[in-house]
Parts: sequence; C-alpha cells; structure tokens
Amino acid sequence: MISTTTNNYRSSMKQNASLDGQEIDSKTLSGWLNDIAEKRDKRAFASIFKWFSPKIIGFGRKQFNNPALASELLQETMTNVWRKAHLYNSEKGAATTWVYTVMRNISFDMLRKMQANHEDTLSDDIWPLAEAQNSDEHVFADHLMDKQIAQYLNQLPDNQKQIVQGVYFQDLSQEQLAKNLNIPLGTVKSRLRLALTKLRQHIGADND
Amino acid sequence: MIKHHPQLSLLKTYCAGELPASISVIIAAHIELCPHCQQQVEALTAKAAKDTFTYAYVEDEAEQSEFAEIDFASMIDDITLDDGIDEIKVAQPIELSLNQNTFYLPQVLRNLELSSWASLGKLSRSRVTLEDASLHTSLLHIDADGSVPEHTHNGFEITLLLEGSFKDEMGEYTKGDFIWLDGKHTHNPITEHGCLCLTVSSDSLHFTQGLSKLLNPIGKFIY
Ligand SMILES: [Zn+2]
Repeated sequence: MISTTTNNYRSSMKQNASLDGQEIDSKTLSGWLNDIAEKRDKRAFASIFKWFSPKIIGFGRKQFNNPALASELLQETMTNVWRKAHLYNSEKGAATTWVYTVMRNISFDMLRKMQANHEDTLSDDIWPLAEAQNSDEHVFADHLMDKQIAQYLNQLPDNQKQIVQGVYFQDLSQEQLAKNLNIPLGTVKSRLRLALTKLRQHIGADND
Repeated sequence: MIKHHPQLSLLKTYCAGELPASISVIIAAHIELCPHCQQQVEALTAKAAKDTFTYAYVEDEAEQSEFAEIDFASMIDDITLDDGIDEIKVAQPIELSLNQNTFYLPQVLRNLELSSWASLGKLSRSRVTLEDASLHTSLLHIDADGSVPEHTHNGFEITLLLEGSFKDEMGEYTKGDFIWLDGKHTHNPITEHGCLCLTVSSDSLHFTQGLSKLLNPIGKFIY
C-alpha cells in the first residue's frame, strides 16, 4: 500500500503522531473524553492531544495556509476540549464528531475574524456543542421548591433523593457530592439523570 | 408539516463550516424546527469528522519538521494549568412582542441584536445585526391579509417561515419551511393570517408588474 520511497517518512510521521488513527477505537477516544470531564485526567488529555494534533494541524493548514494559525487552531481547539469535555455525551455520538465540531467552530470564528475582523463568536450558537437538554436540569431547578415536586422527591429511591437534595437544596457541586458520598462522579451524574427523568415524568403527566 | 428543506449539498457545506455566517444562521434556525434536517446534519457531521480525522495530514517534510518544532508538551501543560470548565448558557426562550403578538425566536439568534422595527403598511422589518459583507439578515412580519407585490430577486433570498403561513404562485408554506429563491423566480407572497419570517438576502427585490414598479423602494426596504 505504501511505496518504499515514502516508507521512511511515513513511519517517522507515525512516531510524531505517536498513535496511528486507525488503531484507536472510538470507545477509547470517548473514554478519554469522559475521563477529562469527570476526573480532569491530564494523561487522558495528553493522549487525546497526541491523537488529534497532527490531524488538527493538517486541517488548519488547509484552512489558513499559515503554520502559525494552524498552531493557534490546535491550541484553541484543545483548550476547548479540556474546558468543555463535560458537554460531550457519548450516547449522542462519536468523540471524533464532537472534537470535529469544536475544531470546525473555532476555525469558523477565526476565518470570520480574518476576513472582516469580526470579534464575535457565533459558531457555538450556530453549532451548539451540547444538546439543549443539558440545560433542562438548571431550568428545572427553579421549580424544584414546588411542594408537589417535594412529594415526588420523597418517592425516589434514597440514593437518588440524596443526590437531588445535595445538588438542589444544599448547593453542593456534583464533584463535592461524589467526594462526600465516596462514589464516582459518573455515578452521581447517572443517579441525578435518572432522578430528574423520573421527576419530569411525574410533572409531565400532571400537566397534560 | 415542513415541506421545504435546504438541499443536501447545502447542508454538507453548512457542516463543513464553509458558508457565510448569515446563511449558516438561517440554516441553524431551520434545523431547530426540523428534526429531519437535524438528523441529516448529525450524519453529515459524523462523516465530515471521519473524513477529516482518518488520515494524518502533515504531508511533506518541511511541514513535518515545522510540526516537530511545535512544543506540544508545554502546550498541554499550559492548557491543563487551569482546571476550570466552561458552562454553557442555559437556553432561555427568546420572546418577541410585535403588534400584540408574542413570538419565540430561534436560539441561534440569542446573541444577535435586532434593530428597531420599521413599518410600511402591513410589513414590518427588523435587521439582525450580523455583519456579513453584502448579505442582510432580517426579521420580516406581514400582518394578516398582507402581501408583498409581485417581485423577482436581483440576487437570492432565503426565507425561513418562523410562524404563520403564506402562499405564492409556487405553493403554500408553513412554519419551518426553508425557501431559497433567486432571479429565476417571480413571486407574490400573500398571507391570510399573518406570518413572521427570518430572511437572508443578497440583493434588493425588484418589483416587476405595472404600478407596483413604483414600489421598488419597498424592495430596498425588505432587503
Ligand atoms: Zn428540514
């Protein structure tokens, strides 16, 4: 497949990239993203970085035809991956799709800035990095004091009730709760999601 | 039921981030209303991602040595130095009150300003402050029984029907319909119960018939 003349440089490129694209399955990639989100795992971040960086640099060169801007695209994309990994939902799609979205958005804003010096960052409004549902939990919080909801809350299993009370009545962060209860952050998140789904079903049923 | 969608090739360019901002915005607004296109876009984005990330792009030796010069370790350190995360803003309904009606605008407009409304007969227009070269983005409201006299488009005009309905020579349009017209089309939209549209136009309309030629200033108004 690869001719012998280019073999050398191909293999050295491989070393640069450290990990070859084809050999990493999508489960590993989304696992790394989740580790970044839940554990702020720097090693997972370094792995993600190594896998994506040659590709992002390559994409950036095509977009901007300028190595410095390609490097800026890499820096900005990976900064967003680090700071926004919690918006990634592995049930909604592949890690590559999400990172592509982050990169495409930054590239779009950079191009817009270059072309007409627009300082706006429209891209995340055009292509949201997370489903709108992610915000339901916050909107929902405003109504949680409602007495009826308090009743439904009592019908939840204790381990879910504990989480909802911690987050919405004691203002604890999900990280703090995980620490206090000595359970993984992922468990806190999934219990909260389950509890809110159940509560919403009750409320929806009543409002129909 | 939405019958008019952006063409697949347009959605593809949208996913690649290669369209002007105003066209990207109006497509995003359609997608908020259209589960069908939402699915298309998800699939197209996944494909674009796959195509982009399947091959390492660092091509020739010069590029490769430049690539090797980037100090990745310190970039990683810089980025992870700050443990903070970016929360996204909670989606709040964007209400618009106009002529005693309340409308809800697409979320994609949340950070864009609207100019004050200008009215001409049954037409009201507000500009969406989105600088994008010669493309103009506007909200256009037509009161019940209102119409836009027969006209053609010097450039192109994209209309997204946000609320209500209207009809023209080519058919009847309902909420969510995405209509792209250019100089080939001549039409005379009429609305029975009123409608609110988001529009992107590249040039002013041109009125074509009899006395309504006198209305050509309206064409500039709408554009
Ligand atoms: Zn559609």
